[in-house]
Amino acid sequence: MIVEKLDIKKLAVLIVAFILAITAPFYVPEAFIYLIGLTFIFIILVVSWDVMVGYTGQANLGHTVFVGIGAYTAALLQVPSRFSASHTFAFLSAMPQAPIPVSIIMGGVMAGIVGLVIGVITLRLKGYYFALVTAVLPLVFMQTVFVWIDVFGGEEGFSIGLDRALGATTMGRYYIAFVLMIISVAIMLAIVKSSLGLKFKAIREDQEAAEAAGIDTVKYKLIAFLISSFFGGIGGAAIVHYRITISPEVYDIPLMLLIILAGVIGGLGTIYGPIIGGFLIYLAKNWWLRELVDRFLQGTHLPINDEVILYILLIIIAIFMPGGAFEEVRKRIKRD
Amino acid sequence: MLDVLTRILVYGTIVSGIWALVASGFTLIFGVGRMLNFAHGTLFVLSAYFGIVFAKNLGINPYVSFILAVILVGLFGVAMYRFTISPIRHHDIMVIIVTLAIALLVEQILLLIFGSYQTSFPSLVKGVVTVGGIPVPVKRIAALIIAIIALILLELFTNRTKTGKSIIASAQDTEAASLMGINVERVFMLTMFISSVLAGVGGLLYSQIYAISPEMSMKALLYAFAIVILGGLGSVRGSIVASFIVGYILIAVTTLFGANWSQFAMLIAIIGILIFKPSGLFGVEE
Repeated sequence: MIVEKLDIKKLAVLIVAFILAITAPFYVPEAFIYLIGLTFIFIILVVSWDVMVGYTGQANLGHTVFVGIGAYTAALLQVPSRFSASHTFAFLSAMPQAPIPVSIIMGGVMAGIVGLVIGVITLRLKGYYFALVTAVLPLVFMQTVFVWIDVFGGEEGFSIGLDRALGATTMGRYYIAFVLMIISVAIMLAIVKSSLGLKFKAIREDQEAAEAAGIDTVKYKLIAFLISSFFGGIGGAAIVHYRITISPEVYDIPLMLLIILAGVIGGLGTIYGPIIGGFLIYLAKNWWLRELVDRFLQGTHLPINDEVILYILLIIIAIFMPGGAFEEVRKRIKRD
Repeated sequence: MLDVLTRILVYGTIVSGIWALVASGFTLIFGVGRMLNFAHGTLFVLSAYFGIVFAKNLGINPYVSFILAVILVGLFGVAMYRFTISPIRHHDIMVIIVTLAIALLVEQILLLIFGSYQTSFPSLVKGVVTVGGIPVPVKRIAALIIAIIALILLELFTNRTKTGKSIIASAQDTEAASLMGINVERVFMLTMFISSVLAGVGGLLYSQIYAISPEMSMKALLYAFAIVILGGLGSVRGSIVASFIVGYILIAVTTLFGANWSQFAMLIAIIGILIFKPSGLFGVEE
């Protein structure tokens, strides 16, 4: 009975959220609609990170590598002429411009391939190695952008052209981003709720016991990582088509920390938590946090900005509520 | 050509000595407490900035500044362990996330205070000598000597003193050590102090030779990773040997191809080791 009641409550929340999301463009100012659309894509990044970290318990600190690979793949598929600056890959400049859905899927595929290679090398070892190697990757991939500056565009990046946007209007982009998020999250949710997801969780709880029970832990960690990196790439490619520009910040560590923060606040291994966490954190970061911090600290010369606040928040939550902020609140309410 | 080779050899040896300090500190706290401290590169940078503030802004004698900065960064490490790592020590992922967040937090604060300009610690000694036909500033040789002394002290401390042996005991089996009456929590704090001091000395020596900026913390962490993976996670001796291999590779790549490529070289080295000999040169079995 209790389970049923909870499900009805959850369903009600979902329906309300869905209606709000669908109707938002009619009463929310356009600038915010643009931001909320980006937030939907950010949610794909957080949920895909959670599939690996929250479900199999492997610390992936380099998720932005897959976001970046997806993003640069999509961007170069739209402007293949940039390959002419490279000796080895000059032949690719003859490619026709890819249709947008192809471009987004290819972003996911390329990210998945890189994820698979990294996974094959590191996931058969102890978890520490996976954490170390994934932490190094964003620093290295960042460098590719500066070393092959003519292809990747260096610090400034490049534009893919207005006609390659997800939609012709802000509203159009918003809805396409929304649909993309729903599809991606639904697929990932279906996977973690299936028997595959159970195996992931078994690995997280006790790797040796899982192995003793006949689960090929390396194989299932690899599958989780492949799914995670694929959707990370999808998200990266979607960002490019949403913003129509690309720059190296998609690889960068601040984005990684934002993903981690959203996941940790929401509660790892819950999917729903990271969705809510992703929504709150991305909007907070890009909407009001900076302004608030500026207003509060105006005149004082304290070395604090919005990023400092977010890092402190992450440290506090990770120490005091490792199960996620919502979980903690729910526990407190139940206790009373 | 021979000239370039000697330069790689001489400069590589010096830089390797510094990285040996940083990496052995990183591997020490991992070996003892199974903790990956992603803020280790931050300790490296932080001590350099402490030293620079003491020596340049407050006008304190460089030698005194050096010692003050090292002690301060050691205490910072202990406080970091006590208040942020200790409560979640058994939660591997959270330790990594929290230390990474601390690393970025400190980097951001340093950027806000000092900007991303490069700055350096005053030279401890002046003058230039010729080694194998190449002029080498004395401060670089001094750095190597200090690094070697610090490593010898570390070796003597862990193997010859009772406290040092309690560190080794805790590293081998935390539970058994605590049953033998060793206060493991205190051992961890002490290890964190030593680990931070090693990073701190490395940072000061580095910043009196080269310039340092807040962004250096991630790069230092990357080099430490490469070294400890090659040396074997948890093995101090392995990481000292490995830091010379990595140091020479680093200097060779930078001299021949330019600094942009050093990160690639590190990644390729790491991946190569993980494919062919994942336990490293002196891997510690669990």
